[in-house]
Amino acid sequence: MPEQPRSETEDIVRSLATDERRRDVPPDEASLYLAAAEAGAAPHEGAARERLGLGAWLALIWLGALITAALLAPWLPIPDPKNDKAAPALFSHGPTLAHLFGLDGIGRDVFSQTIWAARNSLFIGFVSIVIGFLIGGMFGLLGGYFRGRTGAVLGGTTDILLAFPPLVLALTIVAVFDQGLLQVTIALAIVSIPILARITRASTLTWSDREFVLAARAQGGKHPRLMFREILPNVLPAMFSIALLGIAVVIVAEGGLAILGAGVGPGTLTWGTMIAAGQSELRTAPHIVLFPCVMIFLTVLSLNYVGDVVRKRFDVRESGL
Amino acid sequence: MRTIGFKLIRLVIVVLVVTFICFWLLKLSPEDLVDKIIPVGSEAAKNKMRSDIGLNDGFFVQYWHWLSHFFTGNLGYSYLSETGRTPVGESVRQSLPISLELMLGAQILALVVAIPFGVVTAYRAGSKFDGASNSVAFGMLALPSYVLGFVLLLYVGAKWKLLPTAAPAIDSFSLNPLDNWRYMLMPVISLAVGQIAIYMRLLRSDMIATLQEDFVTTAKSKGIPDRRVLFRHALRPSSLTLLTVAGLNVGALIGGALVIEQVFSIPGIGSKLAQSILTNQLVAVQSYVAVIAIFYVVLNFFVDIAYSYLDPRIRHARAAA
Repeated sequence: MPEQPRSETEDIVRSLATDERRRDVPPDEASLYLAAAEAGAAPHEGAARERLGLGAWLALIWLGALITAALLAPWLPIPDPKNDKAAPALFSHGPTLAHLFGLDGIGRDVFSQTIWAARNSLFIGFVSIVIGFLIGGMFGLLGGYFRGRTGAVLGGTTDILLAFPPLVLALTIVAVFDQGLLQVTIALAIVSIPILARITRASTLTWSDREFVLAARAQGGKHPRLMFREILPNVLPAMFSIALLGIAVVIVAEGGLAILGAGVGPGTLTWGTMIAAGQSELRTAPHIVLFPCVMIFLTVLSLNYVGDVVRKRFDVRESGL
Repeated sequence: MRTIGFKLIRLVIVVLVVTFICFWLLKLSPEDLVDKIIPVGSEAAKNKMRSDIGLNDGFFVQYWHWLSHFFTGNLGYSYLSETGRTPVGESVRQSLPISLELMLGAQILALVVAIPFGVVTAYRAGSKFDGASNSVAFGMLALPSYVLGFVLLLYVGAKWKLLPTAAPAIDSFSLNPLDNWRYMLMPVISLAVGQIAIYMRLLRSDMIATLQEDFVTTAKSKGIPDRRVLFRHALRPSSLTLLTVAGLNVGALIGGALVIEQVFSIPGIGSKLAQSILTNQLVAVQSYVAVIAIFYVVLNFFVDIAYSYLDPRIRHARAAA
């Protein structure tokens, strides 16, 4: 098709959408950089490892144990996290053999609280990233595949959401719609949509130019088939590693929201609410804050590690270029 | 010049959209705004508030009022005090510089630490030092700033008593960094650690690629000392990647700063925001969020300008490649 002169407004819409003029490094490449940097890996090092190292095994074991404990929490022989049983003399007491992580300010067992909190924290992380990927991934896939007007509209939508610092948008949503597990999950899902859409789009762009996609099109493949049968299977592995990182980011963000008073609310146990509740007693009973902090750190570390291993195995950059 | 004009138009559009979303979000509140903000107030106080916000007008009239007030410095009121209302604009003027100092301090500290480490690890890639710093950086990435904040607060502040654990209230908080560094040091470190890891890893991978380029070999063969080659010749192209990611990263930095202010009770905009959320002062929340979002958008605009100013050739080089 001949190149047609474009109007200024079209230029603006196009730039809002594709952002091509924004930075000299194409922004999708930049967000890949950032994602990879946050993942903790050098973007250009793609040597696939033959076997899982010790670190990867430790990370998998930690995640496995955590998920199992979280799922089985109602049946585990641990004290009721909301029932205050201990004698008042033991309130805020540090770790003992009977109470591994100590007791909180009103005599509840901190260990069983962390396990129950893991249920909600992991739920928020997992569900919001799944929602984020279903919507954002679809946006990204469509936007990367149809590069014309559809791509511009989808890109423009995600770019508007990207104009807010993520945590700020999430906390505004929670502040307006009140605290709660559902509200926080949805707020963090909304925040993750544009980021995930961008990364999916970048990945889709590199794959949809490959010869096998062209070959499938030449054989008469329709758009849905090209997108879902040819491109999507190649995009998914990279997306999976990003999803693991995303869950880690969401778990951290939940803690931040709770500290800012826009979390799930004091009635629901998450690592964030535990930290927010114990904050005032940091000096006298530091274990109440530090144990959930350690849980967040180890979980995020493990998710990053596993995500990194997955990313290296299916390196989209190395194999795509 | 044309591009700067274009970017300015873009900036204006994005600012309009962002403020519109801030305004619209509040309208989505499922409860009655007035009852939520002043639950126990007199009818007179409620009527006063209705006329402040212009709640009886149509949607776009309200938006226009809000927007024109916003850009003339009237950011609405916080209806917390029994006697009436306190202007939000005043508290933004007081608290914003503190938040800026925190973020700027963290960004500078992050770059000052990350650049030498990134360069040296790239130069000595594969060495024990490289391996050790990479492992440390990987751990730092998984460490949420507030977790580090609590640990610092507990040990450096409460146990070793090296630095004060609580900052003074906003009226007695000096804006001079030479006076307030004792309160700002721990927050700045907490906020910088994650950034250090990101920049360091990014710079390392970027530099490893740069060090294999011909111009580096040429410089070395001319007998220029390694240190000079590394910091003068090889660092320059990587600085653009660094700038891109620093720009992309500001969103995360803002979110982190809000949480860190709350952890260290620094009277910045984050503490103000959290306080408003806690007391349901949604009009104030809206204004704080709009200020933060506009700050973010404008900052990105300047990063953008800086980027094309620093190296206008890259776009063409990349387009040709």
